[in-house]
Amino acid sequence: MPCWYYDKKELRNTPSKLDGISYETEMRYRKEGARFIKETGSKMDLGYNTMATGMIYFHRFYMFHSFRQFPRYVTACCCLFLAGKVEETPKKCKDIIKTAKSLLSDQKFQTFGEDPKEEVMTLERILLQTIKFDLQVEHPYYYLLKYAKCLKGDKTKLQKMVQMAWTFVNDSLCTTLALQWEPEIIAVALMYLACKLSQFEVVDWIGRTSKHLRWWDMFVEDVTMDLLEDICHQVLDLYQSSSSTAPESPPLAPRAAQGSHTPIKGLVTSNGQEKMDVDSSTTVASQLTCAMKQQQQQPAMPPDAPPYPYNTLPPYPYPAPTHIAPPPGPPHMSGPPPPMVFPTYPPGFPPIPPPNAAASGFYANPPNPNPNLPPPHRPPYFK
Amino acid sequence: MNSKEKERYIENFAFPFCDESTKYEKVAKIGQGTFGEVFKARDKGNPNKYVAMKRVIMENEKEGFPITALREIRILQLLKHENVVNLIQICRTKASASNKYRSTFYLVFDFCEHDLAGLLSNVNVKFSLGEIKKVMQQLLNGLYYIHSNKILHRDMKAANVLITKNGVLKLADFGLARAFSANKNGEPNRFTNRVVTLWYRPPELLLGERNYGPPVDMWGAGCIMAEMWTRSPIMQGSSEQQQLIFISQLCGSITPAVWPGVENLELYKSMELPQAQKRKVKDRLKPYMKDPYACDLLDKLLVLDPSRRADSDTALNHDFFWTDPMPCSLSNMLANHHQSMFEFLAPPRRPSHMRTHHSLPGTRPTTSAVQDSSYQDRVF
Repeated sequence: MPCWYYDKKELRNTPSKLDGISYETEMRYRKEGARFIKETGSKMDLGYNTMATGMIYFHRFYMFHSFRQFPRYVTACCCLFLAGKVEETPKKCKDIIKTAKSLLSDQKFQTFGEDPKEEVMTLERILLQTIKFDLQVEHPYYYLLKYAKCLKGDKTKLQKMVQMAWTFVNDSLCTTLALQWEPEIIAVALMYLACKLSQFEVVDWIGRTSKHLRWWDMFVEDVTMDLLEDICHQVLDLYQSSSSTAPESPPLAPRAAQGSHTPIKGLVTSNGQEKMDVDSSTTVASQLTCAMKQQQQQPAMPPDAPPYPYNTLPPYPYPAPTHIAPPPGPPHMSGPPPPMVFPTYPPGFPPIPPPNAAASGFYANPPNPNPNLPPPHRPPYFK
Repeated sequence: MNSKEKERYIENFAFPFCDESTKYEKVAKIGQGTFGEVFKARDKGNPNKYVAMKRVIMENEKEGFPITALREIRILQLLKHENVVNLIQICRTKASASNKYRSTFYLVFDFCEHDLAGLLSNVNVKFSLGEIKKVMQQLLNGLYYIHSNKILHRDMKAANVLITKNGVLKLADFGLARAFSANKNGEPNRFTNRVVTLWYRPPELLLGERNYGPPVDMWGAGCIMAEMWTRSPIMQGSSEQQQLIFISQLCGSITPAVWPGVENLELYKSMELPQAQKRKVKDRLKPYMKDPYACDLLDKLLVLDPSRRADSDTALNHDFFWTDPMPCSLSNMLANHHQSMFEFLAPPRRPSHMRTHHSLPGTRPTTSAVQDSSYQDRVF
């Protein structure tokens, strides 16, 4: 079985790297490709799920192929094309290409070759085989809304926090975070970041028990502060390392080597209690300023988070049941099933047995029609 | 990378997650699914293991890999249950100059020896009441499971119900299936109503409903249940109009009195609906079914109003399954039969013009089936 999660060492040893592309350049290509999916998708009014799914396909694809073999904008179009079909928001291939053309310089569009549609179609088969037809992808958006619904506190502040976290999730898709961590963990980390930056202090939440030290203990286990901070930094790095108007080449000088991040100090006190202290996290604050500026510059960034109280969860496949467990109640869409009433045709149950039923020999034991018998014991048919 | 280099790259790249179809050896063609031919094949590495391979037809696709096939794959990957056909993997032919560097794809399933239509068309296959109960119980169990997972099958019919030689039933052909959700934000769903083979199509679809749900599959389950005794589909209309007439003649007139809100359906006024028909489900099927519990359950499945039609949970709790003779395994009965029975391979159950069709536009009709031109019901 393929596992779509990689450690940092593996992410530095990709087909592109082996093909002579530096880590920094690959990260830039990934960012550009993912952002291009977002821009193309937004221009075509595709939903955030479709765009996110396409971005995940894109990142997974380049864990098996090099950016030198497959130009990023063609792959990006192909991923968006496939994601459109998978997420039930199909767009015609030629329309995607048309939109792509309008967004790309002539020089970049040349990578689509003489017959761009043919190029994307051929690539689709390669893409499907590469991602093992593993089409269903979950994104942090769903968890972000689910978790936010449980948090108590000032509604306006909560909404502001969710909006900010939503934007971070958008941007996280330009990084390789989705190749490192499950969507639940990314959602927690980016909500944690948004809480800090929007000064929304979570003191209580629905479903809190004495075992829960922090709100996310309710949803994810064994998430260390180091991990959360690492995830936050990977997103914040996006805003520092370049801007969308950065020159095409040479690739930008890499930021200080990994691991030399300034830790987000003072966000958590030694006893684990959350503390609101923005002053002591000036690094984050300055990064945020940078981030906000960036977000304003970026054209057509993705749709906003839905309004409070987040009852409108995204349509299927969220939540996609990952394990198979029947719901406790009736399996129907919502609420109890309507009573089975036959105004004109009372069921008249149990009916009179047909004459000669037993004698016909059709079945060995005729049913017992005695209405006075207690109903038979019914073992659960579904474990 | 120029195109020659790319071709060589594609030809030589060993996709780690997608086996080549040469892993299997085709034995026979056993069917024609919604979007491709189906073959029985043997696993070369494990000669006792048989699989069914369904080819994804892409020749006439303008939009690449068909969205219907993507749906089926996604849904099958989600559904893992004893009574749902198991998708083992998707395999490919190697890309080469001969196929213009475009692989063909196959969905590979665990092989099931029979389908229900094939079994019912063979007069030598006799089901006892306990065995019929087992078939229906497994069928409803499968539906309970897929509906719990918010999936509609949308093509219930005997030919899509597979049975292994051990008597385990598997719902198959999710080529028309889709996910559904409860109406969000009060917005009704807008699904296509051009689904389900005509003879198994419920009245709400025939009347143009687009906001439908699991009851569409329950109607099909009812039709299949009756067929366990009648041995052929009970309502074999040749057009939507005729199908509605047959339904009215069996289930009674379609009126707002028995089905509140039916008058609002798009085609309610434009379709001819026979008036003053009495409901005769029990009367007409009693001679075949005899068992009163069976008649009563069928009566609850073939309910016109989808909101009052029994759901799978209700049906599974019906006394039919909990009275003697209790459901019993089909394995002994099937052990007497040594040949696979598929509708595709079977002689017609009725004169050929009455035969179930696989009328997918753009695909070949099955061997002896006559393509009925009066309707094409696999359009999206």
